[in-house]
Amino acid sequence: MSAREQFMTTHAKNIEAKRVYRRFTAGQNWEHAILLISGIVLFFTGLPQKYRTTSWSQQILSTPERLETIQQIHHIAAIVLILLVIYHLGRAIYLMIQRRLPAAIFPTIQDLRDAWQMIKYLLFLSKDKPKFGKYNFEQKFTYWFIFIIVGIMVFTGIIIWYPELITRYLPGGLVPAAKLAHSTEAIVAAIFIVIWHFYHVHLERLNVSIFTGYLNEEDMKKYHTLEYQQLTGEQIEDADTGGSQ
Amino acid sequence: MIGRHRLIIALLMGTLMVVLIGILDLESPQVMAARLPQVPNPTEEPDPRLSLSDDLCLECHGQPGLILELENGETLDLYVSPDDYYQSIHGMEGYACVQCHRTIGNFPHPPFVASSKRDATIQFNNTCKHCHLSQHVLTQDSVHARALAEGNIEAAVCSDCHTSHEVRQINDPVTNEPLPETRLWVPETCAQCHNEIYQKYLTSVHGSALVDEENTDAPSCIDCHGVHNIEDPTTTEFRLKSPQICAKCHTDPEIMDKYGISTDVLETYVADFHGTTVTLFEKQTPDAETNKPVCYDCHGIHDIKSPDDPEKGLHVRENLLERCQVCHPDATINFPDAWLSHYIPSPKDTPLVYFVDLFYKIFIPVVLGSMGILVVLDLSKRLRDRVNQVNGESSSSVNLITDSDESELNGHDSPSEPSSINGIQQENSHD
Repeated sequence: MSAREQFMTTHAKNIEAKRVYRRFTAGQNWEHAILLISGIVLFFTGLPQKYRTTSWSQQILSTPERLETIQQIHHIAAIVLILLVIYHLGRAIYLMIQRRLPAAIFPTIQDLRDAWQMIKYLLFLSKDKPKFGKYNFEQKFTYWFIFIIVGIMVFTGIIIWYPELITRYLPGGLVPAAKLAHSTEAIVAAIFIVIWHFYHVHLERLNVSIFTGYLNEEDMKKYHTLEYQQLTGEQIEDADTGGSQ
Repeated sequence: MIGRHRLIIALLMGTLMVVLIGILDLESPQVMAARLPQVPNPTEEPDPRLSLSDDLCLECHGQPGLILELENGETLDLYVSPDDYYQSIHGMEGYACVQCHRTIGNFPHPPFVASSKRDATIQFNNTCKHCHLSQHVLTQDSVHARALAEGNIEAAVCSDCHTSHEVRQINDPVTNEPLPETRLWVPETCAQCHNEIYQKYLTSVHGSALVDEENTDAPSCIDCHGVHNIEDPTTTEFRLKSPQICAKCHTDPEIMDKYGISTDVLETYVADFHGTTVTLFEKQTPDAETNKPVCYDCHGIHDIKSPDDPEKGLHVRENLLERCQVCHPDATINFPDAWLSHYIPSPKDTPLVYFVDLFYKIFIPVVLGSMGILVVLDLSKRLRDRVNQVNGESSSSVNLITDSDESELNGHDSPSEPSSINGIQQENSHD
């Protein structure tokens, strides 16, 4: 066996051993990273503004200059997030026009069935764990829940950022309502991400595919059985479908 | 020669001593025959400093027309009306002229020198502190004392407000609190100098109630500005703490309930964006300059109107808008509704805010709560499976029931004893 042949064989073996599946495009990885960073900045600059009556917040916002700075950082992060939303929706519309928009993320009746089956499984009412495709019901729920949260935050945020402009066309009562919704929705977002999203991507299993873009074969088989079958044509008879991932 | 020298020295020393005694005498005059009219407590000892009776003073100063020409050509009226004085609180309490005019000494008193009438007033006012020290100390912190120290001789001194010989009783002798009717005197007193503000005040809801209706619930100048330590109201410190001044009365149900005025005004102000920020800066940086409005930015400073005032009240949307536009120049007619007008959100006054609040009060526990439950269920299931798996590796008892092929168990109804199951497994594996 020539050295070249030997190399090819080992290399092929390596390839086979480390077979990975693309889960997210590089663009999607970047979108998530920008959402993550702008979200963290918005959260930590918004929190002291929400709790202005508490002493810890007053330590931070002690002078008008500091308050101004924190609001400016909040506004810059908000602009980044709004640009991200425009990009995300623009790309979706572009793909829709080209009829290339993947349908996997849209909720279906099957998701309700899966969720119901999952609840039954968790309550020991059934031993069958549902098998999932590319996005399971939990992941779809996460996407759409955050989609709506960002929508509400951007909408209410613009109202309280430009109250004079908004009240030219809309009733003034929107402004205090938007202020309340903005600050409460932020807490909803924080709780949601901590109890739901962190649990599913950190505690349940560490899933870093949103940063790397790839899933390994084992996780594909285990957590995205139907997608794996679709991609490879292999049937997985006795898959431990693991968690809801 | 030596003896003559000694005599001269002795004579000089003697003269010096006489002069010194004379000077000391000026400072501490001895009691002669003090006139003590209407002494409230006759057993009280007469003040030992009194050296001259009021009668002696009034022999000259009780004659109308007695005047003194001052250095700048002004004439100082030296006449004191005995009737006015004996009706003043000092006269009624039996204080003698020389108790205030302390530098007089014996008759004839040294000539009085003043460059102007104002100079004379300022000189005479140095005497009040001998009895009213605490008020004097408070006054030193006032904007008036500061102005005087900076050379503004027009700045108010004691007698400008209290008069010199017609000082009126202000405090209740029992409670030591100001008598209610004294409140009525205040605005006119301040008006002597601050007339422009007084005229504005008369048009305000407070001023018209106090001056026209003699309603002593209404605040006079000193209720907001303080009494002796009157602060500079143009500082940022004053601005930031000013809501507390209004709150003194406006959160007191004893006063407000009479007029059907809400006592939630401070709370609702602090709860809203303007008030929250002002309160924050007041605590953290009291000298911070902020454009966030305080009570008087919307309600007016001295011309405060009732919100229900048909012409200028803030319940008239256009009037409120005008106030908003001071800071929000682009504001239009819908804009004032962005402010909750001191209302606690209710379905009637502010339905949108009320329902947003209600929505989240239901949404957060229901949706996020059920997510939490789902996560806990998932976690517990997972942990239980893991525990079973670990147990299963050693004894494999429960693991078999949950995960293994059901057909295996169908043949054996009661896998009660681990050993028997192990046996089955072994059998199967041998197969």
